[in-house]
Amino acid sequence: MGRQPRGDADRVHDRIAVLRAERRVSRKELADAVGVHPQTIGYLERGEYSPSLVLALRIARFFDLPVEAVFSLDPLPAIGSELLRRNQ
Amino acid sequence: MTTQTSLTATFEDERYSWARTRGTRHRAVLAEAALLAALVVATLLAAGTDDGWTTSFFVVWSVGMVLFIPLHSLLNLGIRGLFDRGRHSLDEHQQGLREHSHARVGWPATALTFAAWAGAVALVAVTGHTVLALCLGFLLWFAAGLLPYWHLAWTLADEDTTEDDALPA
Repeated sequence: MGRQPRGDADRVHDRIAVLRAERRVSRKELADAVGVHPQTIGYLERGEYSPSLVLALRIARFFDLPVEAVFSLDPLPAIGSELLRRNQ
Repeated sequence: MTTQTSLTATFEDERYSWARTRGTRHRAVLAEAALLAALVVATLLAAGTDDGWTTSFFVVWSVGMVLFIPLHSLLNLGIRGLFDRGRHSLDEHQQGLREHSHARVGWPATALTFAAWAGAVALVAVTGHTVLALCLGFLLWFAAGLLPYWHLAWTLADEDTTEDDALPA
C-alpha cells in the first residue's frame, strides 16, 4: 500500500499530469484503467500521495513506459529538456 | 480494483460534491461535537436532580439523537463514506486514509471508552440514576466511535474539482 509523504524528501515525483495531457487521457479514464478513484490520480499528481509499487507499475504500463520514466524519487525534468539532453 | 455498490454510488454522487469541501466538513464535525457535548451536559444536569429521567430530558435526548441522523449523513458524504463502505469498494489511497485516521485516534478512543464505563459507574454510584448513567456511558462510547470520522473529515485535503476532460493536445 502507498502512503502520504511525510515531507519533500519522502515524496515520489511523477509525470502523470504531463503524460495525461500529451495523450489526451482524462483523470477518470486513467483511474478506471488502473483501478483507483479519480481523486486518487489527483492526489498522485499533486504529490500528496505516494503510490504502492503495484499502482506505480499499473500506471507505467498504461502509458507503455518504464516505471522510472513516470515516477522518480528526484524531481523529474521536463520531457523536452530530457529529449534535448539525449540528442546531444 | 474497486467494486461499485449502491452505497458507494450514493457517496460518489456528484450532486453532493458541495458536502466535500473542507469548510462543510469542518462545520459538520463541530456541529456533531457540539451536539454530543450538549447531550452530555443535559444528562449530567438531569442526573443532578432528584427526578432524574424526566419527560423534558426524554424530549431533549430524542431531539438530539434525531438531529444526529442528518448531521452524520452530511459528514459521511463529506468523506465519501470511507468508514461505512466495504473494503472492496475502496482503492489503496482510500484504505490508507481510513487506516491512518483509525490509528491516529486509537489512544483517545480507548480513553473515551474507558471514560464511558468509569463515568457511568461513577454516576450511578453518586446519584443512583441508572438510566442516566447508561445514557452518559452511551454518549461517551458513541463519541469514541465517531473520533475516526471526525479526524478524517477534519484532516482530509480538499479534492481537485477542476474539469480534466478537455485536456490540451
